[in-house]
Amino acid sequence: MRTAVEELVYRSCLLLDAHDFPAFLDLCTDDFRYTVEAHAPEIRRAMVWLDHDKAGMKALFENLPRHFSDPSPLTRHATVYTVTFEAGGGRASVVTALQVFRTVLDGGTSSLFAVGKLYDTVVVTDGRVALARRVVKLDTRDLGIGSHVPF
Amino acid sequence: MPRNAAEWTERPRFPRTHYVDARIYTDENIFREEQEKIFARTWILACHESELAKAYDYRTFRHPSGQNLVLVRGDDDRVRAFYNICPHRGNTLVNAPAGSARTLTCVFHAWTFDCRGDCTGISRRKEGFQDRLESARVGLRAVRTERGAGGFYWVNLSDDSVPLQDSLAGSLGVIEPYLSEPLEVFHYQKVRIRANYKLWHDTNSEFYHDFVHYFNRITGMQQPGYFGRKYETFPNGHASVGSMRVRYDQYEGGADRIGWPGLEAGGWFLVDLFPGMTFNLRTSVLRIDTAIPIAPNEVVVELRGLGLRKDTPEQRALRVRDHNAIWGPFGRNLHEDFLAVTGQGVSLRDDRTDARWLLHGREEASTIHDEVGMRHFYAEWSRRMGRPASDPFAEGDGE
Repeated sequence: MRTAVEELVYRSCLLLDAHDFPAFLDLCTDDFRYTVEAHAPEIRRAMVWLDHDKAGMKALFENLPRHFSDPSPLTRHATVYTVTFEAGGGRASVVTALQVFRTVLDGGTSSLFAVGKLYDTVVVTDGRVALARRVVKLDTRDLGIGSHVPF
Repeated sequence: MPRNAAEWTERPRFPRTHYVDARIYTDENIFREEQEKIFARTWILACHESELAKAYDYRTFRHPSGQNLVLVRGDDDRVRAFYNICPHRGNTLVNAPAGSARTLTCVFHAWTFDCRGDCTGISRRKEGFQDRLESARVGLRAVRTERGAGGFYWVNLSDDSVPLQDSLAGSLGVIEPYLSEPLEVFHYQKVRIRANYKLWHDTNSEFYHDFVHYFNRITGMQQPGYFGRKYETFPNGHASVGSMRVRYDQYEGGADRIGWPGLEAGGWFLVDLFPGMTFNLRTSVLRIDTAIPIAPNEVVVELRGLGLRKDTPEQRALRVRDHNAIWGPFGRNLHEDFLAVTGQGVSLRDDRTDARWLLHGREEASTIHDEVGMRHFYAEWSRRMGRPASDPFAEGDGE
């Protein structure tokens, strides 16, 4: 089952890389919630940079084509560190190291865009895994021009 | 019709107040001169009172003129600013961007300073300096500091500058009535981009770039009264824009905003302060930009989002959500603004700049798409620099 959980995390990255947002949402439960957080030592405070339920993520994705966005592809590199199943095995907490690389269209130069970790909650139902909660905790706070596409 | 090389570099047939020589964005000497003639003599917003709320709290600040400062709230509740440098051997005194310390201790040789800038300890002083060095002669370099509307702390490197309020010249008047409640910073981000600082401030000073924002086109431009809003200019290069009602409900996922005390639903006020700060109060969040130039083609933009200190957790969460939807790192407008300005930074990268002139010649009775805000900025820039921005090297006579 650990392999299925790991593959869920990796698949979520591949689908976001590919901008296949409907397929990404299909990996998630109906009560899925997605949050991006970062800690600012400058104001000694935790910050929330994005916080959406599944409907909010769907709206965000559907609005993307209407906006002027950086066309440089983002590539997520993830390594699942720990998978901790609750008693009974119906739910797992997953910690994944994440690096996001940005590759410019002209010349294809890649550079590190962001570093952080994914804190996922995965539910297991009848042997099937689904993403119920994702908290992206970013170490990188200078995201330069930023991004319309979440990590 | 495309233009040949001579035509491309021909001076625009506009009054010389209505365009600039692009080299003001790229020339190294002009940049150094700006740091000396403008930034070192101007009140600059350094931080908010919520960032050093208690006695002995400190906050560092990279001043646009190049100096590293530290602001400290004293045991008398007064906030003072100093050069963040140990007078002994020039080591950086405070390394963390924020914290709390009764004594500022230089880690290099353990000299100590108190919250008022006095030197309180010189390690093994008697053995090394005998009676040749008095503590009173090695205090920190104090920098003028004033608290302004909304609880922001401003600094000025010049000891003989006019007071902050004189410098602001009433420009914050349009927004001050909404800053009476104690505020709190909930969002802070430093963004380093490859562009001249003026290009960022230009973008904050003109609304004609509404066209880059789908969000603005839907929530603003199609609403009655949008194009009627007027710029008001103030002495010293400042300008403000009056309110209108933004129809956030026109953007999916953009309705039900929490609002701001005294501000009409969907209200929006903006004040641009010379030479690179912007107050932007938009329906439920106050955003503050401070441009910190690093090099001619490099700027760090400090972005702050503020709510009310009295916010409940639920209210704060709503305010943060509103902020993030537009101005967060994944928000709709911020990314688009940065893309536009870094696009300028690619073209206006150094003295081989692709463009010779940049226009700000739109005149629409000082309404929202009039480029009077930029013209007003460059009038002040020209006054401070002692030469017109349209002819910084005295090469032509212009109109």
